[in-house]
Amino acid sequence: MSEKKELLSGICLGSFGVYVAFEALKLPYVSEFGPGPGFFPLWIGIGLTLLSLLLIVANLFGSTAPENSKSQSRTAIGRALVGWSGLMLAIGLLHWLGFGLSLALLAAFLVLALEKRSPWVAISVAFGLALGFHAIFVLALGLSLPAGPWGF
Amino acid sequence: MGFSVALTPENLFWCFVGVFLGTVVGILPGLGPAATIAMLLPLTFKMDHTAAIIMLAGIYYGSKYGGSTTSILLNVPGESASVVTCLDGYQMARQGRAGPALGISAIASFVAGTVGVIGLMLIAPPVARFALRFGPPEYFALMALGLTMVVFLAGKSMIKGLLAMLVGLWLAGVGTDLFTAESRFTFGQMELLDGIDFVVVSIGIFAVAEVLVNMESRGGTELFKVPRGIRNLMPTLKDLKDCRFAFLNGSVIGFLIGVLPGAGSTIASFLSYGAEKAFSRYPEKFGTGVIEGVAAPEGANNSETGGALVPLLTLGIPGSNATAILLAALILWGIKPGPLLIQDNPGLFWGLVTSMYVGNVMLLVLNLPLVPLFAQILRVPYFVLYPGILGISIVGVYSVSNSLFDVWMLGLFGLLGYAMRKLDFPAAPLVLGMVLGDGLERALRQSLMMSEGRLSVLITRPLSAAMICVALAILIMPLVNKVRSFRVKAVEQDV
Amino acid sequence: MKRSWCCLLLITSGFVLSGAGGIAHAAAFEPTKPIEAVVHTGPGGGSDIFARAIAELMQKEKIIAQRLQVVNKSGGGSAVAMSYLAEKKGDTHTIGFFTGVWITNPLTTMEAKTTIADLTPIVRLVLEPAVFAVKADLPYKTMKDFIEAAKKNPNQLKQSGGSVTGRDNLVRLVVQKATGAKWVFVSFPSGGERIANLLGGHVEAMVIEPQEAGEHIRAGNMRVIAALTDKRLPSFPNVPTLKEQGVNVPVIPQARGILAPPGVPKEVVQYWEGIFDRFAKSANWKQYVEHNQFEDGYLKGPGLNKFFDDLTVQMREVLKEAGAKVVR
Repeated sequence: MSEKKELLSGICLGSFGVYVAFEALKLPYVSEFGPGPGFFPLWIGIGLTLLSLLLIVANLFGSTAPENSKSQSRTAIGRALVGWSGLMLAIGLLHWLGFGLSLALLAAFLVLALEKRSPWVAISVAFGLALGFHAIFVLALGLSLPAGPWGF
Repeated sequence: MGFSVALTPENLFWCFVGVFLGTVVGILPGLGPAATIAMLLPLTFKMDHTAAIIMLAGIYYGSKYGGSTTSILLNVPGESASVVTCLDGYQMARQGRAGPALGISAIASFVAGTVGVIGLMLIAPPVARFALRFGPPEYFALMALGLTMVVFLAGKSMIKGLLAMLVGLWLAGVGTDLFTAESRFTFGQMELLDGIDFVVVSIGIFAVAEVLVNMESRGGTELFKVPRGIRNLMPTLKDLKDCRFAFLNGSVIGFLIGVLPGAGSTIASFLSYGAEKAFSRYPEKFGTGVIEGVAAPEGANNSETGGALVPLLTLGIPGSNATAILLAALILWGIKPGPLLIQDNPGLFWGLVTSMYVGNVMLLVLNLPLVPLFAQILRVPYFVLYPGILGISIVGVYSVSNSLFDVWMLGLFGLLGYAMRKLDFPAAPLVLGMVLGDGLERALRQSLMMSEGRLSVLITRPLSAAMICVALAILIMPLVNKVRSFRVKAVEQDV
Repeated sequence: MKRSWCCLLLITSGFVLSGAGGIAHAAAFEPTKPIEAVVHTGPGGGSDIFARAIAELMQKEKIIAQRLQVVNKSGGGSAVAMSYLAEKKGDTHTIGFFTGVWITNPLTTMEAKTTIADLTPIVRLVLEPAVFAVKADLPYKTMKDFIEAAKKNPNQLKQSGGSVTGRDNLVRLVVQKATGAKWVFVSFPSGGERIANLLGGHVEAMVIEPQEAGEHIRAGNMRVIAALTDKRLPSFPNVPTLKEQGVNVPVIPQARGILAPPGVPKEVVQYWEGIFDRFAKSANWKQYVEHNQFEDGYLKGPGLNKFFDDLTVQMREVLKEAGAKVVR
């Protein structure tokens, strides 16, 4: 069960390591005195690749790590990813709608979609948070937050 | 003489304003003392100079008190130095011990902060001269020593810890190379020319990832159990006793690191945490909610402020962003910071130093009663808290450089942090790598530039040689332990 | 039920209308709202402090009715700030504070797509002089001494400084070329580290601004051996310039001034020129310039355009000879 995790991480990091090393080779390895800009990234890439291989190999012969008792259920990960998509969407809206509205929409989305509570709860949480943030950060502290066409 | 200056009603008032603002700034993730001090500079033109520096300094060291609040309660690093506090502090909150965590943080900050001021007062000039002996080779050795802390932060799997650290080192390298002006891994994005901001990574990997993990399941209405009664909301006498060493450790390490220009409070907190774990009787418990794991780094980042003021006030050299602005402020007011500052402006210097004692007391009095209040935040139903945390994260990141690009990166690092949690990769080594990577590479290349490419320069100089030895010792330690336990097992099997 | 829908509709339409109204505003040459003053450093950086000081002085002199609001757009040297200004095409309530890096950055960095030619010059305010300093206990009393020593022991002497495309290094490169001496340049990101390394004896020399050096000289830790300007500096009357010492190199200026976004109408440019005209003549400003040991570098109009063009050409040449990758 957990071997799959290790293999997955190993492969991901290994390929990342190869990529980093590859890109690093395009940079000068040495400069006037000592390492150039390509030096460190190259070794980081090599280190990543080697350690990833080690990780994969260590787990091919059975997992030495304690068995993970938490079930990696698809629904759990799915919920988290849904939440994450909501966050990314809200970030995308920051430019057009401003911080207050985007936060309100995100809050409403999370409460409705993930927590499945009533729309009234969603609206009050959304409204309350947006108002609270505006009051504290913009009014009291004078920070500048992304503002939509209506100024908040 | 200093006390008579510091205790005038005017200076006391401005001291209070400074430390209060500092605490607020510290609590808010992202917004740091440097930016706040810069914003308030115009207001200080009309003030008496001593009062002004007292206030600005108050913001500086006050902000270190507040930084732990969101780290402990919400796993949101309030300040880059507070990342280490998240490790054990948040775990303590999950176990219903948020109150003691916050309390010990305030107390450690007070003790270490005061020690820092004492250091500033008594041994500033000799320590400053000692710090001047730190050239690039010594910095490299120090950073290398810092990286060996990965041994203490990796948890169960060393391989994964090292992998995380390497990713962190890579992240540190993204941007424009200082020495050749070549861009590395910027993917053609102008915003990446200056590298990835540490705040973005730390808030993403800690705070956002935590929210994502918690989104996996619908739960009850309360986040963690918050015990009732004031007794349970404060550290116990036993807690205080346990932290004796941590207070000392944090104070000394923080102060010494602070004196070095360029080495920041984040490094100080990592080293302090590592040292605490190394000398603890139960190192395996670190990371699960050990109170010393909160006291040591929090103390370190406070006494670091005292240390950072040493080069500023004795040599006119700023040690960090915030002290650089303090330097600019002094110049703007017509005071010339340099080796003759203390001679020329004794009232300012001593007034400032004694005001820091007063300020630390004020901060303790301010922060301790707030602990039970803050702990109540955890009572908020989590479907309100989660969007709130995400909101705070966005505000924190955006307030650093007003960049939407940074906020997108926050989202990406949140996902990365989530993936790391699912795949059992420890986050602390990544953060460690990122904090030290820059300094490490730079120091090595500077050293080699200075020595015409001879690597031996690192070992021929006594200071750097000493630190490298300690670093090697730390690296060999786990191997030695493993061999030892292997042998013990073998012996047991024989018997 | 119906009433609440009506209310909702009214409120929404109110928002939409006010939003639409807020977008269109008349372009005027009398500013009607606070001016955005864009700087390329973070809070506390050189440009940030400069801009804030000017904003403060403007308020004092009451030269302009609106406030100057400093906006930090740091990143990629000047790349982010310049790009931000370029995007604000035609915006009459935005100005930018430029320094030398605004000219050199686009020459060496591919990602810095906006060049100085894309923006609208308004006025050059000051020139920041610099001096060449060594640690006081070293035997070099003049620039000649240093150059001789560097010639005898190539690459043994070291100079601390900032980025390789910054003025510190460019000065080193032109002097090296003119004299045949060679010494090493070690980059440190912060001014504090540069000075600390000099005082600690890890490097021998650095290029430093006179106001920064003042205190260290007074304490006897530093010695200035050359003024990197056309004429001797009032604060260092006994320090000869490079030219006086026989080193014939062009002076690499570090200028500071004001720009506007592209496409800004002529009346607005004239308005700003007028404002800074009056500002530059004010007593408070003159005091600030003197206090910071700047050189008054007031320049506008076609002279300013020529300055930018000449500087761009000069920088490109110097950088190419230095071996830096010139991309534009």
